[in-house]
Amino acid sequence: MVNVGMNSLVELAVDLGGLKMKNPFTVASGTFASGREYADLWAATMDTADCDGLATKLAFNPDKPLSILGALTTKGVSHKSWPGNTGIRITETASGMLNSIGLQNPGVEDFCTKDISWFGSQGVPVIVNVSGHSVDEYRRVVERLEREGAVTAYEINISCPNVDCGGMSFGIDPRAAAEVTQACRALTKRPLIIKLTPNVTDITEIARACEAAGASGLSLINTVAGMAIDIRARKPLFDRKMAGLSGPAIKPIALWAVHRVYGAVKLPILGMGGITNAEDVFEFMLAGATAVAVGSQNFTDPLSVPRLIVEFAELCEREGVKNIDELIGGLE
Amino acid sequence: MCDGGQSAVTSAATASRPILEKGRVIDNVALGSGMGFITLEAPRVASMLLPGQFVHLRVGEPCGEHILRRPLSVCDFDADAGLFKIYYQIKGGGTAALSARGKGEELDFIGPIGRPWTPPEGCTRALLVGGGVGCAPLTPLYKALLEAGVEVQMIRGAQNATMMAALEVLDFTNTGCKMILTTDDGSVGYHGFVTVPARECLQSGGYDYVATCGPEPMQKLIAGMAAEAGVYCEVSLERRMACGIGACLSCVVDTTDGKKRACVDGPVFDASVIVW
Repeated sequence: MVNVGMNSLVELAVDLGGLKMKNPFTVASGTFASGREYADLWAATMDTADCDGLATKLAFNPDKPLSILGALTTKGVSHKSWPGNTGIRITETASGMLNSIGLQNPGVEDFCTKDISWFGSQGVPVIVNVSGHSVDEYRRVVERLEREGAVTAYEINISCPNVDCGGMSFGIDPRAAAEVTQACRALTKRPLIIKLTPNVTDITEIARACEAAGASGLSLINTVAGMAIDIRARKPLFDRKMAGLSGPAIKPIALWAVHRVYGAVKLPILGMGGITNAEDVFEFMLAGATAVAVGSQNFTDPLSVPRLIVEFAELCEREGVKNIDELIGGLE
Repeated sequence: MCDGGQSAVTSAATASRPILEKGRVIDNVALGSGMGFITLEAPRVASMLLPGQFVHLRVGEPCGEHILRRPLSVCDFDADAGLFKIYYQIKGGGTAALSARGKGEELDFIGPIGRPWTPPEGCTRALLVGGGVGCAPLTPLYKALLEAGVEVQMIRGAQNATMMAALEVLDFTNTGCKMILTTDDGSVGYHGFVTVPARECLQSGGYDYVATCGPEPMQKLIAGMAAEAGVYCEVSLERRMACGIGACLSCVVDTTDGKKRACVDGPVFDASVIVW
């Protein structure tokens, strides 16, 4: 039995472009807010019989629930508050879901007031996801967050399909991607991870542009552009027509993107897209991911991340893995 | 079912934080007209539930077709017996999968979730207006109100006699609750929508609380009438939901104070804050 919290037989720690993680697990931005809701649920549930001894295996501390994570990734933070999208915001699809939330958030000032001290209490590295409509907006968010000690790293979102001007428009053009990366790099020495979209012809081109502009790592993939239709109304289900597909349905797309980018750049990769079990994590690492993020699966099972940490460690043990570094890009 | 010592009239201030619990199906029956009625054994959630709250129920397997949970309101709960019941409409694949779950099977759910019905203190006469499956979350409310000695008038609307008959399973505790039935086709009770008798009740006066759940246009009309009559009104809104615990912002409702989450800021809202 692996005791992940105390003394795992497998070395789970990874270094994601200077971000030290005690295990390779974080959450996908936007599925987890700033973590309070999940922290509360974990604290209230983890030691019950329904959790199969997870609390012991993880050396779970109910006062610091999020400390089991390799890192926390926050919801996207923008310079000013964004209202998010109108109309229906999600729908289920076959083994997946579409979302059109539109990066609703109260802005960086409110974020700093309400969430920074909370992060400090949790004893977990914090990756703040940064959104903007313009290079200047990205810059202002990073500038403000540089004044906060509880921020460990940045994930720059140039890949959200759900906002006009900004978001994905930066992530589909190598020059714009490089410009945002460079602007943020100039402001910080912290690990700078650029989040890429799969909605491009050649993702390696964008990846190389970010690498040349000073990124510390890349995270991929953001959601896949999709659509749903209300047949009775004969209208698109979502007000913005396009929405972002996530969940197990996109895992093969994500794996292929990780594999290709791994071969194209030297940067470490935070892999994500449809991870539901320990085998998926194994696959992402073999494809080239240094760490992984769990997204939609948090909705299916709010305890999925704690479960995955334990199950992944157990899988590594069964597979004779001593140090998970050997898995990263370890395809034969 | 008795309510296991819950305070008679509930309030948002006493709501517990949600947990994840695995429960057992005690009974799951099809009622016809695409309605189902499931009884679950889940002692922890049952002991914390308040009228108007819901559970977020997992209907699919980890890598299966249905990755999202389904938010379903609880129509009855018994802390002593460790049971709660859900009256649900089979709308799509997820609820169809739920209807296929048999006795003894395990289901997992997050609960209790949401702001419960919160009648004004000292409330003496309440009007409850339910449309179709929207009658379900009103059921534990009328029970709590009656136990608190509040006079309750319930108006229940359905499309037709068959749909109305399927609602009869909610009648386990309505002794003392005055009931007006309406059907869209006139096959049972008043021929027409719930809004007509609701208006008559409010015009007759004496009510100090209105609670409504059902199709949103209906709730909007009821809320408007209550506002005209100067009576405090609560509505219970339904939204597509992903996390169910307040993190993902899928289920937002437009209010006078910006966007609020139907899962944890609702599902029961003070009707006067809703921007319809």
